[in-house]
Amino acid sequence: MRSLLPALLAAASLLAGCEKKQPAQAPAAPATPELKAPAAPPPASDVILLGEVGSLTGAEATFGQSTHEGIQLALEQANAAGGVNGKKLEVRVYDDQGKPEEAANAAVRLINQDKVKLILGEVASTNSLAMADKAQAAKVPMVSPSSTNEAVTQKGDYIFRVCFIDPFQGYAMAKFARETLKLQNVAVLQDNKSAYSTGLTGVFQLRFAEMGGKVAGVESYSKGDTDFRAQLTALKKAKPDGIYIPGYYTDVGLIARQAQELGLKAVLLGGDGWESEKLFELGGSAVDGSYYTNHYSPDSPNPATQAFISAYKAKHNGKVPDSLAALAYDAANVAVAALRKSKSLEGPDIRDALAQTKDFDGAAGKLTLDEKRNATKPAVVLKVENGKAVFAASVSP
Amino acid sequence: MSGVGSAGSERPAELLLECQGLHVAYGAIQAVRGVSLSVRKGEVVALIGRNGAGKTSLLRAVSGMLRPADGRITLEGKDITGMPSHLLVARGMAHAPEGRGIFPNLTVEENLGLGAWLRTDADGVAADEAWVLSLFPRLKERWAAAAGTLSGGEQQMLAISRALMSRPRLLLLDEPSLGLAPQVIQLIFRILADVNGKGVSILLVEQNAHLALNLAGHAYVLETGEVAMEGAGKALLQSEDVRRAYLGE
Amino acid sequence: MSDFLQHVINGLSAGTIYALVALGYTMVYGVLKLINFAHGDVMMMGTYVGYASALQFKQRGGFGMASVLAIFFLSMAACAAVGWLIERFAYRPLREKPKLTALITAIGISFAVSYGFQMDWGFLPGPNPRAFPEVIRRQPWLTLLDGEVTLWNWQVISFAVALGLMAGLQYLVFRTRFGRAMRAVSHDHRTAALLGIHTDRVIAVTFMLGSALAAGAGILFAIKDVKIEPLMGTQQGLKAFVAAVIGGIGNVPGAVVGAVLLGLVEEFVVGYTASSWRDAVAFGFLILVLLLRPEGLFGRVTAEKV
Repeated sequence: MRSLLPALLAAASLLAGCEKKQPAQAPAAPATPELKAPAAPPPASDVILLGEVGSLTGAEATFGQSTHEGIQLALEQANAAGGVNGKKLEVRVYDDQGKPEEAANAAVRLINQDKVKLILGEVASTNSLAMADKAQAAKVPMVSPSSTNEAVTQKGDYIFRVCFIDPFQGYAMAKFARETLKLQNVAVLQDNKSAYSTGLTGVFQLRFAEMGGKVAGVESYSKGDTDFRAQLTALKKAKPDGIYIPGYYTDVGLIARQAQELGLKAVLLGGDGWESEKLFELGGSAVDGSYYTNHYSPDSPNPATQAFISAYKAKHNGKVPDSLAALAYDAANVAVAALRKSKSLEGPDIRDALAQTKDFDGAAGKLTLDEKRNATKPAVVLKVENGKAVFAASVSP
Repeated sequence: MSGVGSAGSERPAELLLECQGLHVAYGAIQAVRGVSLSVRKGEVVALIGRNGAGKTSLLRAVSGMLRPADGRITLEGKDITGMPSHLLVARGMAHAPEGRGIFPNLTVEENLGLGAWLRTDADGVAADEAWVLSLFPRLKERWAAAAGTLSGGEQQMLAISRALMSRPRLLLLDEPSLGLAPQVIQLIFRILADVNGKGVSILLVEQNAHLALNLAGHAYVLETGEVAMEGAGKALLQSEDVRRAYLGE
Repeated sequence: MSDFLQHVINGLSAGTIYALVALGYTMVYGVLKLINFAHGDVMMMGTYVGYASALQFKQRGGFGMASVLAIFFLSMAACAAVGWLIERFAYRPLREKPKLTALITAIGISFAVSYGFQMDWGFLPGPNPRAFPEVIRRQPWLTLLDGEVTLWNWQVISFAVALGLMAGLQYLVFRTRFGRAMRAVSHDHRTAALLGIHTDRVIAVTFMLGSALAAGAGILFAIKDVKIEPLMGTQQGLKAFVAAVIGGIGNVPGAVVGAVLLGLVEEFVVGYTASSWRDAVAFGFLILVLLLRPEGLFGRVTAEKV
């Protein structure tokens, strides 16, 4: 997910090197940019140290912070349930400010200096790709909670993820549009500077046509554009009944407004790049009635999901977890389960245990890790209603 | 420095402009080195010298275009050293700069109008406009033309007229004869004499020493940034050294 | 047919915003002969001031005519102050230095502002985009072709403002005493000073005027495209610069014509070919104009006589 989102905060490098070591059973400290603590002593032998890399500051700070909260919750629960064979779990967190080079540095530090057994992270595919090289070379297993770009797990057999990959999202939306919404004629508006967006476009086009629908036309924009009227006017000519916009919320909100302004009546469809409160702020009422695929919905009736939500709410004053928190929670739990099953705490054994993950009942749906170390799991489709995303359907592979 | 014929010529008593020990430098290059000179009320004072002798730099320092490195400038007894140009206009100084400095995309009318920028006496401005146009009737014919389309002589007329529009007590002129035809030069110098006759003191920088010394009551010869000679204009005209060095004889 | 008309409206509407930004660009260039690359970022700052004041009005019960004018006034005044600061402390000390020094400084200011605004310390807004409140209620002004094409009130307002400002600036430059001083300073500020013109003041006022225009442009931009973020000025500023050069930089009507042409060209390229061609064609258009008329469409070759 969010394979691009370049981190442009030059000055934020002031915060470089913030680190924090936190015993997982400690009360939740808010994940703020001020995370700063002296380098912790090496863990005692009755502790298993895990590593986490995330964007705790920078443009995608909310990604890193939600992820951190999910991981913390999972480890607390694991420690309360006796840890791993009597050993407590601890996590060491490094902030990468959303920058790939910082993410790679953090991974190296976790591997060489902190000697962690397993690394959790990152959200953005670009950052996960940078870390994966280091983890694979050192044979330290890495589990990405939410990077959806296909290439991440192709880096090697030590790299896993607990989310579905981009092609599945495209398929899920094509299926939902065709079979549930019964759309005939769908146009596509993609961000042609984002591999995430063009990837989803390709899959959607192919699958929607296979299912008997017609793709009315494909238009492109570039991330950061604010005027999409030319593309929308061109698409309007084909009189589409739906428009698939596999972009990010910052652009999608405006596209929705401008489509409405131009009198386009089509249903808007999208992917997990839409997931943000900002979508409703930027799109206003124009995004009402749209649908997008996502990893998780807090409205999902799945018991594992609801159990996670109540635990998270109890810890965070009733705050509803977002999908990044849910995926991070799953990533940490998948890691804990593998550590418990693993023959030893050596990288190859942990790797083998991870690879056997099957029918794991996660907060973001039941998942199995396939031979490519990707999660096979259902996607949810959310509908935007009155400035909120509500559960509409679940689409299985 | 040598005074020439100072005994024979009486300068007016009242000081208008005085420079004392003036130094002007461009970075490491000293253009003016310790020059002292004065312009008395009602005088035409000429500064002659070769290219690069420091004449233009001196003029620029006087009119505030350059800040002197050292020395003191007074105008009517008040210290004006380093004062910015636009404030000096209000104190009665006008400078028609080297290269005439007219604004080519403004009309003749607009250029003249800018000369009276600080004045609020509309009637006086109108009277002065009529006066300069009587001096240079040619400008009236080109009234609405962009100044850039004027001939060199017309541009010089405009530059002098514009400087006069501020009704200055001291007029600084930098090479008014440069690049002009002989008849035009004669016309301009005749008019400068008229202007001086109206009580406007003039500090004139000229390479054409003959013209300048004929007009000037008093003159200074600058050589490599220093005053080499000074004296009455007519007396310098007679000087052997001046004749050999500046009059090509 | 309806899509063609819609493209024309879209292009004019985009060009209008370019024009408003380009006017400030061209004014500052006209007097200082400086390409003020920070102009787009001044626009961004003005938009954020407008945003902050709009939120205040929103809390106090919505937007009337008076509050809309107040929003414009506040952000234009704030930007005039910012423009004064930039000119006084960044450009004035460099006035006698080579132009390149000032140009690099301008680029530096642009980066400092646009990236600085991405910090979320204190009053700085941080990197997240914001939605500009609907200060002018969006209403169709005219519907054409059986409702297929709509001309919106805000499009008409922006266009009228752009034309009005163009006429106003043209009047200022060519018909007023201050304009005459601007033109004199533009040609040669030293000679202008010899005539008693306080050149620093003329330059500062021009800069403040240009910056205030940028703020107005920013708010009209935000009314059109809603999303504001710290990097918004960079793209709009670049496009406006291209428009100003096409029209003949330093020329007021040229900036507007160049901007409208650029907006239309971009619109038709995206609408009828592919969006990836947009910037290539826009800059190709710039190069073509510069090849055929190096002084821009409306620029004049002045008889520079020394």
